[in-house]
Amino acid sequence: MKNEILKIMVVEDELLLLRAIGKKLELENIEGILCQSGEQALNQLKNLDRPPDAIWLDYYLKDMDGITFMMKLQSQNKKHDIPVIVISNSASQEKIKGMIALGAKKYLLKAEHRLDEIVKIIKEFIMN
Amino acid sequence: MVNIYIALISLVLILSLLLVLIRVKEILKQSKRLDEKLKEERDRANAIVSSMGEGLLVLDTNYKIVLINPAAEKLLETTANEAVRQKWAEFVQAYIGKKQILFEKRSSVKVLKSGKVIITTVIDDHYYKTRSGRKFPVVSITAPLLRNGAVTGVVKLFHDVTREKEIDRMKTEFISLASHQLRTPLSALKWFTELLMEKNYGSLTDEQKEFVKNIADSTERMISLVNSLLNISRIESGRIIIDPKPTDLNELVNKVLKELEEKIKNKKINIIFSIHQQLPLINTDPKLIRHVYMNLIDNAIKYSPTGGEISIIVSKKDDQIISQISDNGYGIPKNQHYKIFQKFFRGVNVIKHETEGSGLGLYLVKAIIDSSEGKIWFKSEEKKGTTFWFSLPIVGSKPKAGEVSLDAEIK
Repeated sequence: MKNEILKIMVVEDELLLLRAIGKKLELENIEGILCQSGEQALNQLKNLDRPPDAIWLDYYLKDMDGITFMMKLQSQNKKHDIPVIVISNSASQEKIKGMIALGAKKYLLKAEHRLDEIVKIIKEFIMN
Repeated sequence: MVNIYIALISLVLILSLLLVLIRVKEILKQSKRLDEKLKEERDRANAIVSSMGEGLLVLDTNYKIVLINPAAEKLLETTANEAVRQKWAEFVQAYIGKKQILFEKRSSVKVLKSGKVIITTVIDDHYYKTRSGRKFPVVSITAPLLRNGAVTGVVKLFHDVTREKEIDRMKTEFISLASHQLRTPLSALKWFTELLMEKNYGSLTDEQKEFVKNIADSTERMISLVNSLLNISRIESGRIIIDPKPTDLNELVNKVLKELEEKIKNKKINIIFSIHQQLPLINTDPKLIRHVYMNLIDNAIKYSPTGGEISIIVSKKDDQIISQISDNGYGIPKNQHYKIFQKFFRGVNVIKHETEGSGLGLYLVKAIIDSSEGKIWFKSEEKKGTTFWFSLPIVGSKPKAGEVSLDAEIK
């Protein structure tokens, strides 16, 4: 893995935000797999030669919420160990607990973090 | 001679008798007037009691209903005939949310024991359940009925707040939805300004850099405003979680100071922080209390001139931990002291110095302290400075279940 560039899948239904994230990953020399819906992301995951090193997941997607995404991800790939980091607009205790219970590594509030902070946090999870 | 005496005495007697007769007549007249007045007052009281919109109950010292007005009959789906002489606590069950209130905890029982008035508000989330099973949200005032200083019963005024609850829920939902929706464009603003400042996309002129920084600063202001609005809607709706944990206040304050380091440096503020050395860990919600320190210290910095001094002292007094935050800044004008904890309040004198600020900070701070069973007070003089004190019980705050926590930090 050391010689390969990092690969992060981003699932975010807001096109503008997705574009900003994509640009940031490009600057950081990270390969971004940009997906606008949960379905698209799940499909992509089936077809990738090498799974992404991490998944950047928005909680509210147009076609499903984070909980559904995590459950579908688990059922299609039972042994996956891709760290999922949730970056969402809303963070009730219930959602955070639910997502962490389903294996998400961290739950961040979108507007509270700069892109480079989020990238740094994700990198830390990949390295560990 | 004797005859004259007898005549005189008779005259005096007759006169006295006449006087007595006149007096008796007057007294009779007066008592009739008094009677009429009493009747008039009774009629007036009856008219008020029977026409008022609030439910009214009078209970005796055995908690039995002595009087019930038509509004209460309607709300409780009963009649005076049915209700009078019934035991109130059995006749109508009371709830906090879904939990039934035990007999000893009923307002009427507490009032009869303590002789003190109890007022409940919408936030207390009280309900009555009638015998037909209808449950409705209620707010009430329960007061002792006093005669010669002794409690002889209880008066209870109450009304159905279904509509208020609904409006409150809609307000909270609206604020919450609007605030969450605002976060998407705010994230876009934040992230694209961040990208604009990346050197890879070409360098900006100094003036352009300044403009971009202005956009970034305003975006941050808007984000924190959205957070404040959300926090207030959470606290006001009573959905906030209070999750006390053994907390090291020394560490907590130092973290807050670290976060404010840049602001402190920019304004060349001298910070003095002193904390009681043998302070035990205190059982409080660190997220909430962090918010209190953050707000008070941030205010002290904001409303101090460059080169000011801020002292933070955390000490122990009896069973309380007292935190003191003093500055030698602009102060709060005396005629505005009474409203400093009100929502959207901003001092007239400070708006000139510092345009940033929503007027929500102290309101939120007070709400947090209230919910943590502490107290907050202050002293302030214009142009001399302000000192805030707040207390927290050493025994700690009680946990409270809820749906949300403050957004300050998510772990």
